[in-house]
Amino acid sequence: MEAILQSAFVQDIATLARPALFNLYFALASIPVGFPLAVLLALGKASRFKIISRLSRGYIYAFRGSPLFIQFFMFYSMMLALNQAYLKPWGIDGVVLHPLFLGPMVLVLNTSAYGAEIFYGALKTVPKGEVEAASAMGMGRWSVFRSVTWPNMLRLAWPAYTNEMVFLFHATTLVYFTLPVVNEQKDLMNKAGELFERDYNVFLHFSVAALYFLVLSILIFWLAGLVHKRLNQHLTGRAEKIRFKPGYIR
Amino acid sequence: MLETLPDWLSGLFSEDVRSSLAYITNGKHLAWYASIRFTLIAAIGGATVAVLFGLVGAALKQSRIMPFKLIGDFYTTIVRGVPDVLFILFFPLAFEQAVEYFLARSVCEPEVLAAATQWPPCEAAQWFLTTTDYLIMACVSLGIVYGAFAANVIHGAMQAVPKGQLEAAAAYGFTPRQVFWRFKVRQMWVYALPGLSNVWMLLLKATSLLSLLQIADIVQWAARLGSANYYSRVGLVHPDWRWKYYLVLFVFFIVMTMLSERFFAALQARASRGMSLAGSD
Amino acid sequence: MKKILLSMVLASAVIATPAMSETVRIGTEGAYAPYNYVDDNGKLAGYEIDLGNALCAEAGLTCEFVANEWDSIIPNLVAGNYDAIMAGMSITDERKQTINFSEEYYPSEPSKYAAAAGMSFDMMSLSGKKIGVQGATIQAAYAEEHFGANNTIMSFKTFDDSVADLAAGNLDLLLADGDPLNPVIEASAGALAFVGEGVRIGGGVGIGMRKDDTDLAVKMNAAIAALKANGTVDKLIKEYFDNGPFYAQ
Repeated sequence: MEAILQSAFVQDIATLARPALFNLYFALASIPVGFPLAVLLALGKASRFKIISRLSRGYIYAFRGSPLFIQFFMFYSMMLALNQAYLKPWGIDGVVLHPLFLGPMVLVLNTSAYGAEIFYGALKTVPKGEVEAASAMGMGRWSVFRSVTWPNMLRLAWPAYTNEMVFLFHATTLVYFTLPVVNEQKDLMNKAGELFERDYNVFLHFSVAALYFLVLSILIFWLAGLVHKRLNQHLTGRAEKIRFKPGYIR
Repeated sequence: MLETLPDWLSGLFSEDVRSSLAYITNGKHLAWYASIRFTLIAAIGGATVAVLFGLVGAALKQSRIMPFKLIGDFYTTIVRGVPDVLFILFFPLAFEQAVEYFLARSVCEPEVLAAATQWPPCEAAQWFLTTTDYLIMACVSLGIVYGAFAANVIHGAMQAVPKGQLEAAAAYGFTPRQVFWRFKVRQMWVYALPGLSNVWMLLLKATSLLSLLQIADIVQWAARLGSANYYSRVGLVHPDWRWKYYLVLFVFFIVMTMLSERFFAALQARASRGMSLAGSD
Repeated sequence: MKKILLSMVLASAVIATPAMSETVRIGTEGAYAPYNYVDDNGKLAGYEIDLGNALCAEAGLTCEFVANEWDSIIPNLVAGNYDAIMAGMSITDERKQTINFSEEYYPSEPSKYAAAAGMSFDMMSLSGKKIGVQGATIQAAYAEEHFGANNTIMSFKTFDDSVADLAAGNLDLLLADGDPLNPVIEASAGALAFVGEGVRIGGGVGIGMRKDDTDLAVKMNAAIAALKANGTVDKLIKEYFDNGPFYAQ
């Protein structure tokens, strides 16, 4: 027992536990904002107003069409350029330029574009008959949306959105490759790299980091699966279970 | 660069335009433009490896022999369960150490090998990695990561090939191997194209990570060019211009995505001539 | 299958072997003017590039400079991506545990603090300040040790990045080598200034080499001694750093 606890593998698991929290933090801080934004953008893309539709489409295209790695670099240097004139006078520079804020901010901008594309796709496949039936019953546009379009869209998009959340979690590795490191705030990749530079044991440190990502990804799938089950409660026996099967389309 | 223009042409520009033109065509900028080759090589090389891994992975996944199927499923699941950056950093390091391990066993003196406390055990077992080596390894690691994506796409596409056609081929006396390669794999491409185009887009964006492998790629040069310069000996003295250069890269990748979309749309139109593909998008 | 894999690995290793002996590869950062930088022609240049070439000529070696990011410059030396480091790296006891150093080729200089002009700080009792350093430098270790408890230490990938944050007002203080800071302060036209006393943290600047690469160390030390004696080192220091410090008295 003693020997196991002292083994390099277990030591690594202990050392990387705190850094793993940073990856989790970045994901957990981004999803609650990224989700509603994605829904809004999807509705925007489907909007009948040309300007709104074009703007949403352009935003989604730009953020899905360029690498997150560059988005991080770009936004940090842009914020820095705006600092003296706009951020400092408001006294918000310390917050805005902090990786714990800017990291999730860029992740939100990125994931909302990917999420929007997913929700837009689901919006297009909401059964027309149900919407028409609701309108025929005299429901207003808002009521139709709330009681027919929205639940259908969410239910249809959920498996793909689960994937997006896992992708987002993986993308949190890029934060400290691009932004400055504050004090001892390091994420899994950062810390694994630091451990590697001490003893060059690439197999050990990177495997433990990979293990953390794998386990946490499975956890996200499991939690999302519970939500999925709820969303499909009314469809007896028709709901497909979400298993740990990361998607291949982002 | 600008000096090579004939006088009548350079005379058309104002002094300001001429100096800006001279600046964006200086050696440092030319090096930036030229570094696009690394991005393109990694993308195309990575895509080639990815298709190979995808085919092998898909073949394994649909194998009836249990261990093969397990290997296929394990590969596609594990690679997708970890971030691509992790793998792209891990693979070259791990491969280098593996090579040095075998090298050490053949070139180091046995007593040195036994007493070694550091890596590699002796100086002769050092494997020197150049940019070319890193680029090849970047292609392979991108290929392995996105090969797992491609494997799933190809696996799905193989299932989509109409069974009747394969049965007809078998009835004509083709062997199972012939049926697989000449009918299933040939026809599969049409169904796989939309998915593979998506994988290509992901791979293209992942090539922005090359600088993490010490390759002086477009991202690295953009940082070098954009960083403020205070020292006239180095070149033009200017404040922090990084965001402008990153904005150019941002747009560059969006344009590459657009071009890729066009290319795949044309390919799809060509590939699906004479096929009725109701229900596929 | 295993055999094929093994022979593939060995084959690639054999292809890689010839590159080992002939040219000495020197790793540098290319972002630390005037020590080393990428000039407007896109080529590596600077004090260390000129000196490195002079040293190699003296020692009868063929040399080639390669750029490598600072934070992985020691690991990649040890991993064997190049044979020597000339990147403004101070000789410290901590680094000596991993790598070997030549005799110094640039004298020890104090590190300096830079800040927005008009600010003053009590260096003895700094607290609540944002202090910038380049990661994995002697300044980073110093700041962590002396100010880590009461201040925020921000570590950047490159020296340029840290200066950019200082110039943009995202840092209260920047702790860095004096030599690269000098042109920054000069060119800022009064916006930035040195504050407080400099601190002497590390030793002089030396060539970093792998510990078992003793041949190269002997050759380089001999070449450094020779070039110091004939005044080449001082001439280059004069060219790049203007007013010294010089080796000749």
